[in-house]
Amino acid sequence: MGLLAAHQLVIDVPNRPAQPLDLTITPGQVWGVLGPNGAGKTTLLHTLAGLRAPRSGSVTLDDTPLASLGRRQVAQRLGLVFQERMESFPATVLETALIGRHPFLSAWQQEGRADYTRAQHALECLDIAHLRDRLMSTLSGGERQRVALATLLTQDPAIWLADEPTNHLDLHHQSAVMALMAEQAGKGKSVVMCLHDLNLAARWCDHVLLLYPNGEARVGERDALLITEILEPLFQQRLAMGDIDGNRVFMPRG
Amino acid sequence: MRRLRGHSSLPLGMLALAALGALLLALSLGSAPLSLSELWAAARGQGGLLASTLVWELRLPRALSAFAVGGLLAVAGALMQVLLRNPLADPYVLGLSGGASIGALAAMLAGLGALLISSAAFAGALFSTLLVFGLAHGRGGWTPARLLLTGVVVASGWGAVITLMLALSPAERLPGMLYWLMGDLAYARAPWPPLLLLMGVCAVLVPLGRSLNVLARGALPAAALGVNVRPLEWGIYILASLLTAAAVTTAGSIGFVGLVIPHMLRLIVGNDQRRLLPACALAGGTLLVLADTLARTVIAPEQLPVGVITALLGVPTFLFLLHRSR
Amino acid sequence: MASSTRRLTLGVALGLALCLTQGLGAGAAQAHHHGRCVVDDRDREVCLHNPARRIATLSPGATELTYAAGAGDQVVAVVSYSDYPPEAKEVPSVGSHTRIDLEALVSLAPDLAVGWVTGNPAEQLETLETLGVAVFYIEPRSIEGVASAIERLARLAGTEQAGQRVADTFRQQMGMLETQFAGRQPVSTFYQVWNEPLMSVNDQHLIGQVIQLCGGTNVVGEQPRLVPRLDDEVVLAANPEAIVAGGMGEENRRWLTHWEQYPHLAAVANQHLFFVPPSLIQRPTPRLVQGAKILCDQLQSVRRQRGAL
Repeated sequence: MGLLAAHQLVIDVPNRPAQPLDLTITPGQVWGVLGPNGAGKTTLLHTLAGLRAPRSGSVTLDDTPLASLGRRQVAQRLGLVFQERMESFPATVLETALIGRHPFLSAWQQEGRADYTRAQHALECLDIAHLRDRLMSTLSGGERQRVALATLLTQDPAIWLADEPTNHLDLHHQSAVMALMAEQAGKGKSVVMCLHDLNLAARWCDHVLLLYPNGEARVGERDALLITEILEPLFQQRLAMGDIDGNRVFMPRG
Repeated sequence: MRRLRGHSSLPLGMLALAALGALLLALSLGSAPLSLSELWAAARGQGGLLASTLVWELRLPRALSAFAVGGLLAVAGALMQVLLRNPLADPYVLGLSGGASIGALAAMLAGLGALLISSAAFAGALFSTLLVFGLAHGRGGWTPARLLLTGVVVASGWGAVITLMLALSPAERLPGMLYWLMGDLAYARAPWPPLLLLMGVCAVLVPLGRSLNVLARGALPAAALGVNVRPLEWGIYILASLLTAAAVTTAGSIGFVGLVIPHMLRLIVGNDQRRLLPACALAGGTLLVLADTLARTVIAPEQLPVGVITALLGVPTFLFLLHRSR
Repeated sequence: MASSTRRLTLGVALGLALCLTQGLGAGAAQAHHHGRCVVDDRDREVCLHNPARRIATLSPGATELTYAAGAGDQVVAVVSYSDYPPEAKEVPSVGSHTRIDLEALVSLAPDLAVGWVTGNPAEQLETLETLGVAVFYIEPRSIEGVASAIERLARLAGTEQAGQRVADTFRQQMGMLETQFAGRQPVSTFYQVWNEPLMSVNDQHLIGQVIQLCGGTNVVGEQPRLVPRLDDEVVLAANPEAIVAGGMGEENRRWLTHWEQYPHLAAVANQHLFFVPPSLIQRPTPRLVQGAKILCDQLQSVRRQRGAL
């Protein structure tokens, strides 16, 4: 399971005409959400997660409207990596990863051995096991980003929503994280990512959602949409497209 | 650091021992000298009438009140910090002590008795709570920043009203009003209500602890992890207000404990609310019992305001821990 | 341990039990018709089976009145600043009147505590009562109130004769001053009870009553508050003939020099800035006679100068 769908969805961005969106994300797919700054990518992602009410339309999770599900039920099937995080209070890396188990534990339950094993495994996957007992406030931006992803991996939901998962990451870890996303899709998860890097989208996504500043959206397979004729007006930027090892690459033109 | 910090109950056990020690010390120290044998006799319900009056009628109720008030303030402080996602929050930051003070001062002006003064303080605290919450709610729901701002502004409003009341009050009522504002355990009488509240609250908060941990990371991430943010925040707010109101009603506005104890303990046991909150209850209680014991014995028969001692004990301890943690 | 805990939770009951079994005090209702009963300044009836033998006086004023009532020998505990009569300084102190060291007080086993209605923490005195110590609240607000407080204290202490003598003398002397001065030509007077902020008294205040007794007219006597807080302008506008001040200490005229910056004030121009030692006029005790005499003579000197001009 892990079928996320939007029906005539209008996200709630002020002063914008209604542009209903229909979308179905099925298990195994990797979606990239692309668009210029302020187009509403984050708002869309939060609306898909049920964290923001849409202006109209609905989001369904396995054919049940999100609005009729409890937050805990949603969190057991759908997880989110935020673009921005705040750390007002001290917490270690391991503690942070472990909160991914929160939706699965009852009020009186303590994290058990299995939960620790999951968190430990997630830290290893993200290459941060050595930071386990460090305080979050002592980490670099890229390390924190990987902790956030490790938390999501510990949560292990059927649907992964990630807001710019490669933020702050060096090249090697960008690739590693995108590979992790693809690997999760390979295991039957649905993956949706907001991305700024066209090349990462071209390399790792199989579907894309292009979001225009006026709220209009185009949805489809990667190869049909990631072409200069469509991307140049979207980003208001002239582009050159090339081909390396069978992957499309885009370069800005002067 | 330690991998098993998550499971270690060692700090909690030590805090419980410290609390027990502080209570025993409070029972054995006083301006009237009692020998160990007299204490022991009194403890077993034997011995002289004076010794048993001192220990059971004066020292024990006061020590238990101090423990309850300190615990309540520390737990309320920790809750407010999570609610506002602001480590600088304390139980009084949202104007609660101001509301309580106005209730109490008004009752004193009306010449009411001690019980009615306490009730008026409690009513004032709850009124202030509802006022701040209602105002902060506004049209678009509230955020921690908005709640904090509303509370701070309302608190300074109360401050002005208190000053006005003091300025306009008959001179002969001023001393009583000023002592109430300073806060002191000499006025605490019934230790059981706040003590039972403290124990009840710890029992309620243990199952909520993990949700609080998640909430401390922000409302949206908490919602994404399955926390029903709005009801939880309401609950914390009401609970913290209730605890603070009970503490203020028992002993006036005693400062410092609610701000610094949670910070001190974060440095020792971390920010896992499931350990932090019980630790706050124990350490806050311990600090206030020790401070009150010193306040009533250091220059006996003269009695010091307990707030002086909490600050004198707490500030260096906190600074030491902070310095060591870097 | 268990029985002790039970006793603790039934603190009130224990207090009553102490009363009955030990005969320490007699706040209990049954005692009303037997012992010596007086009404205190909170309008409560306070009864003792036997004359108080160990008295705790919880304000400097209460100490002085109790000594005046002839019960000085029975006083076993006082609070800080109980400096009159001098013997009182030798009595053990149990803290300040605002924060009483209850332990020290209870250790001295008093059978009567003389409390101060607005000066002592009500909670502490209530605790004291639950421990079986009778509490008699006093706060004289008038000349007759001082005399009556002495009589009532003497009744509780079993020193009726001595107390009656002192009370009668006090009434008589204050009465003589009143006969002598109250009907004379009025002298407009400002009494300064504190300097920063400037505070005075109205006609209802005991000091205000003494001013009237001396034939003075208090320029702020109509103020609604017992101790009004004022600024200099009020005094400049009223331009009193006499300005009277107490001071921090007993021999300190410093507050009066403040007024010398206004040479056009009648009181300054005619050098009618007077000092009355505060303990003689600000305390509701028999020494009020001395303070009243000083004040009456000062106002009389204003009248004399007026006649000479």
